[in-house]
Amino acid sequence: MNRVTTPEDGRPTRPRLKLRTFLTAGLVLLFTIYSGRQVGFTISTFWEVWSNPLWEKFWPVPWEWVFDRSNVIDPLIETFQIAIISTLIGCGLALPLSFIISPLTTPNKPTYLVAKGIMNVVRAVPDLFWAKLLVTAVGIGAFAGSWALSIFSLAVMVKLFSETVDSADPRPLEAARAAGGRHTPAVRTGVLPTVFPSYVAYSLYVFELNIRASIVLGLVGAGGIGRVVEAQRQYFRFDRVLGILLIIFVIVIVIEQISVALRKRLV
Amino acid sequence: MPVAAPPRPRTAGRNWIIAFIFVAGATWSIAGLDVTLARLLGAPADAWNILHRMFPPAFNEVYQRGVVGKVFESVYIAWIGTIIGAVVSLPFAFLAATNVSPRWIRTPIRQIFNAVRAVPELILAVILIPITGLGPWAGALAIGIHSVGTLGKWACEAIENSDHGPVEAVEACGGVWVSGMRWGVLPQVMPVITSYWLFRFEINVRASAVLGMIGAGGVGAELVSQLVFRNFPAVGAVLAITVAVVLSIDALSAFVRRRIITGGGPTKNRNQEATADLTGLKH
Repeated sequence: MNRVTTPEDGRPTRPRLKLRTFLTAGLVLLFTIYSGRQVGFTISTFWEVWSNPLWEKFWPVPWEWVFDRSNVIDPLIETFQIAIISTLIGCGLALPLSFIISPLTTPNKPTYLVAKGIMNVVRAVPDLFWAKLLVTAVGIGAFAGSWALSIFSLAVMVKLFSETVDSADPRPLEAARAAGGRHTPAVRTGVLPTVFPSYVAYSLYVFELNIRASIVLGLVGAGGIGRVVEAQRQYFRFDRVLGILLIIFVIVIVIEQISVALRKRLV
Repeated sequence: MPVAAPPRPRTAGRNWIIAFIFVAGATWSIAGLDVTLARLLGAPADAWNILHRMFPPAFNEVYQRGVVGKVFESVYIAWIGTIIGAVVSLPFAFLAATNVSPRWIRTPIRQIFNAVRAVPELILAVILIPITGLGPWAGALAIGIHSVGTLGKWACEAIENSDHGPVEAVEACGGVWVSGMRWGVLPQVMPVITSYWLFRFEINVRASAVLGMIGAGGVGAELVSQLVFRNFPAVGAVLAITVAVVLSIDALSAFVRRRIITGGGPTKNRNQEATADLTGLKH
């Protein structure tokens, strides 16, 4: 047994730091310094950012331009439409796919492995990469954006929801199978009712993600409010950019509050 | 003896209302998105056409253009962003936690966390690029600022879930507030917080890849320029390298997080804790 007290004063000894801890800390520090060099980080850059005279170009915000219907409000509505339709498509397709991807409810092993592999790769591609690819494929605009976000929300939703299915209570499913139920009805009556509240809650969360994502889609030409940001940025009208950003900021916060309140009631 | 089945719960009216909301939402959205049937039917073929032309990926050409270095630049940006986020958020998380901080300090700090979190990284980068100039530094700063918001919130929740006993013990020995935090709270929460940092790093790698698309350094710029030239084999190679790096980092980070939380023991659903915190849903 380890001696935890010293005989003189009865206080416990301090645990000794292991060599491994030092090595890990050293490696992390080295990697950080190296990354910092690669990125061009020095402490003085913080000061240069703060003292840059360009900040003045962000002020004052031209509110009459921002609140003009065709400038900001219409693209903002488009952003919402992209988010709604992609949430419906993505989450709708995710429901059956999540059951395939969970070991508990998968119809057979090969389907499980193939579907899971594909979804992992799909999720590893960042959302705006999808947007840019689809803009190239089907043309600039909200149509490409909806496609991209549908794919992306499908991937995220499958990941979140299939983990819920993994940890679902297996007993109703076993009962349904013991009673002679075929695979699909057994899963529908044995598992679906217990995980459905989580499904709805995750869908709301994915909708929140989609609102945020659809705001920035326009930066790569995939429609929504982002295209206005991108255009004004290229004209160096940073005051207008700031005005749009403030509106986006308010909307994101409001949507998040509503979504959190709804999710609390569901789960 | 046969037993009558229990009556089905009556939810028909509510279901119709929900269905109506869904259909109305879908119709309104589709109407606004200038979708024609021809476009809708043509889209899968167009997407497949592009996917088809990415094969075989031109790894050699892409390698000579230094794309591997660009992917790693994205990783460095994500790492510096995470470090900025972690270093700035940790002290503020203590000041924002309900159980260790007075109301007049924690309320404003919580609001700042929420406000910072609400601005997407790309939007931050749009603001920062004119100030810092094009380059990886804009991306790192944007990711760092955004990470302060999320990491601060997660760390704050970890502190709120910690056991108050050790803090009381420190206070009983005459320790000041800082000693209570250092010896009473920090040792309890550090494993969880470290695993959040790593989890955020995984998210940031994807974010920094995207940031390159608007000129904030990293692999995104490479993808955009290859797509502009419609050089699809190179696009395929860039995508493949990015996916490989992202998946490796996910796997490595998940392994380290598992070691930190469980000491290497077996865990079921190791990502679920992080996912639950991310979405505010506990199982």
